Amino acid sequence: MLLKIAWRNIWRSKTRSFVVILSIAMGVWALAFILSFSLGMTYSYIENAIRDQWSHLQVHHPGFSEDKLVKYYISNADEVLDSLAGMPEVQAVTPRTIVSGMVSSSRGASGVEVVGVDPELETAVTHLESEIVEGGYFSQKRKSEIILSRRTAERLKVGLRNRVVVTFQNLDGTITSVAFRVVGLFSTGNMLFDEGRVFVKRKTLQSHLMSSENPSENPGEFIHEIAIFLHNTDELLPVKKRLQASFGNLQVQDYRELSPDIELYESQIQLSNTIMITIFMLALIFGIVNTMLMAVLERYRELGMLMAIGMNKPKVFAMVVLETLFLGMVAAPLGLGLGWLTVFLLKDNGIDLSAFAKGMERFGLDTVVYPLLSTELYLQIAVAVFVTALLASLYPALKAIRLRPVEALQKV
Amino acid sequence: MPIIEAHGLTKTYNPDKVPVHALRGVDLTVEKGEFTAIIGPSGSGKTTLLNIIGGLDRPTEGKIRVDGIDLSTLTDNQLIDFRQKNIGFVFQSYNLIPVLNVAENTEFVMLLQKRPKPERERRVEELLKAVGLEDKMDKRPSELSGGQQQRVAVARALAPKPSFILADEPTANLDSKSAFNLLDIMEQLNREEGITFIFSTHDSRVIERARRVLSLVDGEIAKDERR
Repeated sequence: MLLKIAWRNIWRSKTRSFVVILSIAMGVWALAFILSFSLGMTYSYIENAIRDQWSHLQVHHPGFSEDKLVKYYISNADEVLDSLAGMPEVQAVTPRTIVSGMVSSSRGASGVEVVGVDPELETAVTHLESEIVEGGYFSQKRKSEIILSRRTAERLKVGLRNRVVVTFQNLDGTITSVAFRVVGLFSTGNMLFDEGRVFVKRKTLQSHLMSSENPSENPGEFIHEIAIFLHNTDELLPVKKRLQASFGNLQVQDYRELSPDIELYESQIQLSNTIMITIFMLALIFGIVNTMLMAVLERYRELGMLMAIGMNKPKVFAMVVLETLFLGMVAAPLGLGLGWLTVFLLKDNGIDLSAFAKGMERFGLDTVVYPLLSTELYLQIAVAVFVTALLASLYPALKAIRLRPVEALQKV
Repeated sequence: MPIIEAHGLTKTYNPDKVPVHALRGVDLTVEKGEFTAIIGPSGSGKTTLLNIIGGLDRPTEGKIRVDGIDLSTLTDNQLIDFRQKNIGFVFQSYNLIPVLNVAENTEFVMLLQKRPKPERERRVEELLKAVGLEDKMDKRPSELSGGQQQRVAVARALAPKPSFILADEPTANLDSKSAFNLLDIMEQLNREEGITFIFSTHDSRVIERARRVLSLVDGEIAKDERR
């Protein structure tokens, strides 16, 4: 009966109830949209970072992450690559030879990380090939080809087919300068990444790293990094553990360890969601309190009558709370439905923010954001509405049970 | 044993500012089965006395015992339970629950008492038949006339079989026909089922039918007439 009365009571003043339901629904929709936008942006950032820079996992010599010296190569790279080839969770693997150096032209110079890649294997792990905006990818024939970022090319004032000189130390510590021809310019959208790296063929780079003073010390291959891309991010930890167990002499790091900003982003998602949900609740709570207070004050006499004929205080309290919860229960699905529809409609084309491209690229963000809502977020919003309605009902409900029937009955 | 025993009831509003003495030492005993009208001019203390008897208000001084229970010993929450179990209320402006239909309004207090469904249904049918509204069970109060609403209020008050019914100016808002009809029903229930009725009124139609008339003047019982 209490449920019936509460439900019917909210429809006594249809206009008022519709207004409050709509305001809650709009709030829920706005919240769902903001959260989906923020999640989409963060997800895109993380995906880009994994695809463009870090992969899911990287294997290095333990000294390499401290000091990127030529001598810190992976001595048993073949074994690692063989082991990875047998793991079904692994989608693609690429070995890299990396050395710190300087790239220069006649008109400028820039400190960079020179990354030697196997052209075909690299394509399976990163988007390097598809991110070439001018020129092309490595050819089969020429050895001394280099791919620069467009930003680096602008800084060095070079273009396609121009020559640049890359200077680095070989295994002996001897400064080596090698001329490369620019075949392609790439742009990932992440300024820091673009300005910090140039790509050459691994075999070419490797040949210039060999010691001429002690040829016997030269390894077969100079592999400093093995980047691993998995089918599914959820498989990251098991694969990492297996690699660590098999190759205790090497350092196996996941993308969170490699890029603390990603870990920060991931951990901040929940925090920022909580902050936004709290702000939403605060904004909503006053509207609901106001509506329910009006509903209670309007029915002062009726509430007095109910208490006079024997409806006890807990029941009167519960009735007001239920009325408020019903308002939320009608409004929340409506707002969540609108939120879902918005995300659904934007899932193919996203939101084009190219007007802010420069700023977004600086932070490694795509200029098109695809809003994303998880089941967890839908649940969080639904719980937030429930809790807000519950909190908002307390004051009006207390007001209702504090009335004195004898006074309430005399109200006109 | 009397249903109601009141000794030295006084009620003073605003005792610290401008005191208004609504009751001044009222002594009253009501026996089971009485059909009593409390009359008097406006401001004589009728409604105050009814409120105190009904446990809606507390006297400034004096004792009130209802069904042998001293109401001053009960907390506000206990008073609500006490009213639910022992007293039926009929108000001047009907005060039905607007979102419930006639049957649901009649059933309401029994639901609060958690009476079994078959008993509630039987009682609702029986009472609505008695007040002549068996064909209006599904109507909401807004679809009924004033007289019909007041008859529902009487049915609601009687439903849980209370010790007595307190009716505050029950016919004040009714036309003559509805008022007589309501009085007929209440008189019949009093005569046939022995239900005790106490009214506050200054409606001569009610006063004529009462078997005991208590006249209140300035918060005191000026006359206690039995017929």
